Amino acid sequence: MIFEERQVEKNNFSIRAVLLFGLMILGLMAVLLQVFSLQTSGYSDYQLAALNNKNYAVPVQSLRGEIFDRNGKALIRNQPTFDLITRPNLILDIDSFLEKIQPVIFLSENEISKYKKLQKEKAFVNKELVLKTDLSAEEIARFNVRSFNFQNAFIAKRYRRISDHPEIFSHVLGYTSRIENDFKSMPEIPRSHWKDAELVYAHGLIQGHTGLEQVYDDHLSGRHGQRVYEMNAKGQFVKPLSFTQPAKGLDLYTNLDIDAQKSAAKFLGNRKGAVVAIDLESGGINVLYSSPSYSINELSNGMSENSFQTLLNDADKPFFNRALQGRYPPASTIKPAIGMYGLSNNIVNWDFEMKDPGFFTLPETGRVFRGWRKGGHGLVNMHKAFLVSSNTYFFSLAYQADIVELSNHLSSLGFGQKVCLDCFEEDPAFVPTPEWKYSIMNTGWVKGDTVNLGIGQGYLVVTPMQLANYAALLATKGQYSEPSLVALGNQKKLLRTWQDERFNNSDWTKMHQALLGVIESDNGTARSIRDLKDFQVAGKSGTAELVSLDSKEAYQELRSSELLRDHSIIIAFGPMPNPRYAVSVVIENGESGGAVAGPVAIEVLKSLINE
Amino acid sequence: MNKSLQKIYFDPYLFFSLFFLSTLGLFFLFSASNSDISIVSKQFAYIVVGFIIMIVVSQPDPDVFRRSSGLFLIFSLLLLGITYLVGPEINGAQRWVRAGPFSFQSSELLKLAVPIFLANFLFDKKLPIQRKEIIISLLIICCCFFFVFRQPDLGTALIIACSGLFVLFLSGLSWTFMGGSFVLLLISSPFIWNILLQPFQRQRIATFFNPESDPFGASWNIIQSKVAIGSGGLLGKGFGEGSQTQLNFLPETETDFIFSVIGEEFGFIGVLLLISIYLFILLRCFYLALSARDRFCRLVIGGLSLTFAANLIINLCMVVGLLPVVGMPLPFISKGGSSLMSLFLAFGIIVSMGTHKKFLPQ
Repeated sequence: MIFEERQVEKNNFSIRAVLLFGLMILGLMAVLLQVFSLQTSGYSDYQLAALNNKNYAVPVQSLRGEIFDRNGKALIRNQPTFDLITRPNLILDIDSFLEKIQPVIFLSENEISKYKKLQKEKAFVNKELVLKTDLSAEEIARFNVRSFNFQNAFIAKRYRRISDHPEIFSHVLGYTSRIENDFKSMPEIPRSHWKDAELVYAHGLIQGHTGLEQVYDDHLSGRHGQRVYEMNAKGQFVKPLSFTQPAKGLDLYTNLDIDAQKSAAKFLGNRKGAVVAIDLESGGINVLYSSPSYSINELSNGMSENSFQTLLNDADKPFFNRALQGRYPPASTIKPAIGMYGLSNNIVNWDFEMKDPGFFTLPETGRVFRGWRKGGHGLVNMHKAFLVSSNTYFFSLAYQADIVELSNHLSSLGFGQKVCLDCFEEDPAFVPTPEWKYSIMNTGWVKGDTVNLGIGQGYLVVTPMQLANYAALLATKGQYSEPSLVALGNQKKLLRTWQDERFNNSDWTKMHQALLGVIESDNGTARSIRDLKDFQVAGKSGTAELVSLDSKEAYQELRSSELLRDHSIIIAFGPMPNPRYAVSVVIENGESGGAVAGPVAIEVLKSLINE
Repeated sequence: MNKSLQKIYFDPYLFFSLFFLSTLGLFFLFSASNSDISIVSKQFAYIVVGFIIMIVVSQPDPDVFRRSSGLFLIFSLLLLGITYLVGPEINGAQRWVRAGPFSFQSSELLKLAVPIFLANFLFDKKLPIQRKEIIISLLIICCCFFFVFRQPDLGTALIIACSGLFVLFLSGLSWTFMGGSFVLLLISSPFIWNILLQPFQRQRIATFFNPESDPFGASWNIIQSKVAIGSGGLLGKGFGEGSQTQLNFLPETETDFIFSVIGEEFGFIGVLLLISIYLFILLRCFYLALSARDRFCRLVIGGLSLTFAANLIINLCMVVGLLPVVGMPLPFISKGGSSLMSLFLAFGIIVSMGTHKKFLPQ
């Protein structure tokens, strides 16, 4: 090549080399720019993404608070039990492992098949899996001697929620049940991580279900802790990173009284019914019992589907809380309320007397309303009308009442509304009004309806809770506290007042005398319970008719069917003259109020007073 | 010229920058391999051997390479043929040829043989290059590309094609021809997409354009790589502290994605340092090419160093999400003997071409 040509070639090469090398340098700069943008503007996003990749947070279950009665005795406590726990991902041959452990710890077919199924799902991560719950002391000892054979199994403490009186406090305390949606309580932990939660309860993640367990769930449940693991790309736990201690739930101190609740259960026996007792000083509910009942221990710690269905389908409805939701006609127990109405509206006074022929005839239609005693009680004034429970007297009084005013009066006594501060699903029951009747039955309110109301029959329905609240109001002469299950401690009592200037203190005194006479005098309807105690009790019994009948003979025929028999009801308070407790008892199909429900009320009062 | 017999041909700039780069690479590899000392010591041995090869290869006169370029190409193709016939199949591809305890990725040699052969073929041709020479050159490039592409190894095949095209371009390919072939390439791209590309290769390209479509499948690698680099920040998480790397969220940390490890653990500072070294090497090669003694040397230095640069940039662009995923190691850093050997061989030849001076007889 000649020199010029060489020079041309060289220049040509140089231009092209500058172009290509320049292109490459540009490429390097583009990479540098991209890295810079990823690491500055994208930094926070990518850092979060990297953390989300590796950090695996699991909730650490908190221990629930315990529940105590008014004497500090445990109603529900956390009882430690011991479970056999395995590390399924480290067990290579599950069948031979199970075979090896069988002689040490007995496993049922059901336990084995359940374990195998779960093992497949959880073997991937270093997760614990319970093989057998609630080991006996013997099993624990047997396992401990041989534990070197089972390096991938260990015994750990797990709690159960236990009541020492599981049958009698079920409705008021409620139970705990396993939940699937607890992830809402800790939104920072992804939903999928909850299956790996560290549990302290053998039954898993639990929350209060019905009763105090549900009403005070926030108070009892505490706050879950959190453990953060570092996880690798295969989803295996590498090491724990941080741990936040769970906060134990707060204990709950109630006004309930174990001994009184026990006597309520004992004397109600296997009859259907309810008992409610209230401490007049504090408004605290000492007894809240509904029969029949069920065991909360079984429900709280895992009940088989079959047993649960049996309970659910039981014709006696054990899940039904009669004390708070049972709707009963108040029957004669409403008479003090009607009397209060008559006195404050000047329809009658304590001196007014009338003849009781044993029946009342409605002037407009001639319809006859019968008393409970053929031939009547002769001349009756209000005092006697309470003692002998004269229907005629109260029919006649109610006949002169204005139904709207009477309804308002009954509402002012707590009927037709929730009266308990912290009861679970209390039923407000019902006070009838003309508007209600028109909207439901499309017919107008008639005088006969008001007359029936005068003896607590007809449309008015009340709950045992409301009856106890009403008894407390009568006992305290209108200065009562709002009933509550939980001891409010230093908090101010929720005082309530029932007041009517037309119903003065002497009226209250006379009312107390009359109600005392119902039990303590020779001709009181509930005198049969007079000698069961060594203190004086005031009250009013009632017999709620389920079927309206004109004669005793007809009722005798009806008695053969148990479910149509009358309910027996009593409200009572004592010891007189300075009452401390009020109680209401309803016994379904128990007949004759005073003689049947009366003894239960007395026994409950006895155990409360003699404490 | 009479003194050249005693002279050792050696370029201190390239030698020390490569030394620095590969030493740095050993540290990165240690972290990327989860502190696997056996991988690092093996790599260290390759580097030592690599430097020896580089120094030895730097000594002969460029004419030796020029005269043996044909034989070199035939040898490389033969090796490829052997691979095709008896090579073990690893991950669905036949890329390796075994000799006793050593195995070698045969296509690596073609990255050198093709540009040297073309440089020899074109260095004495008149400007502009004639159509006949262009066609012969393209045929050779296409054949070599196709052989490697069939292994299948798209990344290396592309690099081989690039190496040939660089030489062709540097030797004076006419601009009109290049414009025409670019248009042709555009027209034939649907054909390439549908017939030439394997399904997994198509998948990778599709993934590149829409990475969020399948975060746990095909685009996992690229997403995790970006997370690793981005979460490194300006200063990095520290040596051995990158969670993406150490907990294996990042794939292929020792090979293709080692740059993400550097980005995560050493941040922008580390990346800047690394790219500066590469840039320095590239600029030094550019200087050597311009100051080389003749056209053949210029073409070889240009071809080899641009091939190295293309290799580097494709890897970097892939890892930071600027290009679809293609299997391509980061030069001098990624684990792997074959790649290192061929790189040191290439730089040995570059040094030989750049340091041998011949004075024209007046």
